[in-house]
Amino acid sequence: MTKVVHQLIRSSYVAVVLMTLVLLGYFGFSFYNLPIEERYFHSDYAIFKPSGLLGHGLGIIGTLLILIGVFSYMARKRFHIFSRIGVLKYWLEFHIFLCSLGPVLILYHTSFKFGGIVSVSFWSLVAVVASGIIGRFIYLQIPRSIEGRELSWLEVQNMRNELNNELKTKFNVDISEIKTGKSFEVVSELRTLKLSASDFRKVKQLIVRQRLLTRRMARLDMMQNIFKYWHVAHLPFALIMLIVMIIHVAVVLTFGYKWIF
Amino acid sequence: MKLVQFIILFSIFLVGGYDVSAQISPGELSKVHADLEGVSNCTKCHDVGNKVTREKCLDCHKEINLLIKAKEGFHASAEVNGKDCFVCHNDHHGRNFQIVKFDKTSFNHAKTGFELKGAHAREDCKACNCKSCHKPAFIKDPKLKKNTSTYLGLKQECLSCHDDFHKGKMAPNCNTCHGFDSFKNATGFDHNTTKFPLVGKHKNLDCKKCHKPEIVDGKTVQKFAGTEFTNCTSCHKDAHQNKFGQNCKQCHSEESFHAIKGTGNFDHDKTDFKLVGKHQLVACKLCHKTSLTAPIKFGKCTDCHADYHKKEFVKDGIAPDCNECHDNKGFAESSFTVEKHNFSKFKLEGAHLATPCTACHKKQENWTFRKIGSICVDCHKNEHKGFIQEKYYQKENCTECHIVNDWRTIKFDHSKTKFKIEGVHAQQTCAACHYAKDKAGQRIQKFAELIVDCSGCHNNSHAGQFDVKGKTDCTKCHGFEDWKKSTFDHNSSRFKLEGAHLTVSCEKCHKQEANANANGKFILYKNNKILCSNCHQ
Repeated sequence: MTKVVHQLIRSSYVAVVLMTLVLLGYFGFSFYNLPIEERYFHSDYAIFKPSGLLGHGLGIIGTLLILIGVFSYMARKRFHIFSRIGVLKYWLEFHIFLCSLGPVLILYHTSFKFGGIVSVSFWSLVAVVASGIIGRFIYLQIPRSIEGRELSWLEVQNMRNELNNELKTKFNVDISEIKTGKSFEVVSELRTLKLSASDFRKVKQLIVRQRLLTRRMARLDMMQNIFKYWHVAHLPFALIMLIVMIIHVAVVLTFGYKWIF
Repeated sequence: MKLVQFIILFSIFLVGGYDVSAQISPGELSKVHADLEGVSNCTKCHDVGNKVTREKCLDCHKEINLLIKAKEGFHASAEVNGKDCFVCHNDHHGRNFQIVKFDKTSFNHAKTGFELKGAHAREDCKACNCKSCHKPAFIKDPKLKKNTSTYLGLKQECLSCHDDFHKGKMAPNCNTCHGFDSFKNATGFDHNTTKFPLVGKHKNLDCKKCHKPEIVDGKTVQKFAGTEFTNCTSCHKDAHQNKFGQNCKQCHSEESFHAIKGTGNFDHDKTDFKLVGKHQLVACKLCHKTSLTAPIKFGKCTDCHADYHKKEFVKDGIAPDCNECHDNKGFAESSFTVEKHNFSKFKLEGAHLATPCTACHKKQENWTFRKIGSICVDCHKNEHKGFIQEKYYQKENCTECHIVNDWRTIKFDHSKTKFKIEGVHAQQTCAACHYAKDKAGQRIQKFAELIVDCSGCHNNSHAGQFDVKGKTDCTKCHGFEDWKKSTFDHNSSRFKLEGAHLTVSCEKCHKQEANANANGKFILYKNNKILCSNCHQ
């Protein structure tokens, strides 16, 4: 997958999620904006209600999206037989996409009514999504291989050394002589070296990477610890969400609400 | 790791599961269903695998079920019956959700089987609303009564909401008489179907006039049933105080008390004004000018009759009533008696007693009673005017000579004159001296300048034998007592009667002679035969 294709897919992920959020919000605003007590008298109640044609559909589709997003990623990560299918990073992005779009649909399925046992599922969902966003940030803080494997401290140190060497040998820049400070201060200092324009860009990139790596190295231990605990939050909430969702679906089916079926 | 997960899970359940039993619910139930909250109650409404069924709702809402079965009320209407209850009455939309919501202004009440008509559909009544009728006070069912917001429980019977205005005195089916537009106007009621059909003016009467309100249990109630109507006087005041009996219809009709339908049976004598005399012959309208029933004054004759006498008898502003002089037999006759007349200034005496009233009081066309004078000449012609000197009857006062009893009886004291009446003069009528016929045979009177001497009246039958200076003094020989009896003393003459002459009749010596100056004869007394030889041979 080329970088461009990857970028396009990522953008379309974001676009689909945002458009879904905006469009549903736009068309359902008059309904969702009503107090709970008055919604029944809205002309589109039968469509937007949680058990309505759209509302119920959003719930079912949203749930399926989440289930696919969760279990496909889990399977890819945990089961050896799937470990060779695709790059884990893309799977993560797909996981993030489905588990962002799904909750958006679920959000509109709830019609912003957060009560009952199913709300536990919803708030768990919110927690999972929120932790996902946080997790995504922590995840980035931990240097990884192209496959997405976490790198060890030694590996990271080697990576930095390689960068230092590259700077030294290719551009004759001693990173130890570069002041550690704000980025613009580094840039202004680079200008004094009177490098060519392309070299300047390359050096700048290398220095930025070097500095990033240096920062990450400084936090690596801490981040690896946090990430361990992050799983403790992300996964259990996902579990609770799923369990309660199953109860919710079971109850709904028990009482005969079968959407279009 | 697992311990940490368990703790988190448990804590989430604690936070989220504060009332686990209610947590399956998709939202709070409305107030009325609040008691059905809780996981154990779901199947009270929800049918497993079949959403919410009508039967489940109606199992609980028995009152609605009963109405549907009885085909009564809105829920039995074609629009509602057979529909799922939740189509209109949804739930799980919060405690304050209006599970019964309908547009009160556009709701077609006819669908409940009780169309709002007339006063029930008044739009001008600002105070009126659904709750005016749908209130606990009108609901009998004790269970429904407690539900202040229910629209159930009302009956269609009028008395289920309305007070029994008649307090049980009428049949409870109000609408046989009353319409929906107005209670007051019992439009459905036809009085003519009763034993007392409304005729004439009774048609337009306010019901209250006959069906008088009375107080029953502290409330004003109009009495309809049992209203007495056998007699008019059951309602009407007997203006005649039972003088004419109770059958008012003999004279009056329902058209109007004042329009008399017939007077055939009417006995006027039962009124305070008995018809007597000529009043019996008078047409009713003459007295009862406007209406036979309009009260008229009858205390005085002048209340009806015009004062013929034009207030002649008004004294000090007070007019005596006609009946002082007249009675019912007619005005032509008068009941004014002589006795009454004698209380007046002019007493009727003597010939006046026999004089017809008209002689004095109707000298001209009209009767007059005042200012007709009270002295004789006011009525009588003074025959003697210019003949008798005024000194004998001042101011033409006839009574100086005449008396009222008899005109011809004269009480005049003739001694007031120069000629005193004596002897047989007293036996003469006045006319013998004072009246004479003239040459034309007309009676002419003469009182003044009559000759007082005898010759003034009497003829001198002695042919002037005894004249002394042309006058004969009759009284020398005649007295007033008896003309024939002479006071003449023959012995005073030149020839005294003596001897046999005393017995000789006068004619023997005084023979009749023919009167040389006039026709007839006379006895010659102065015959100058004083010698014997004048008579004797």
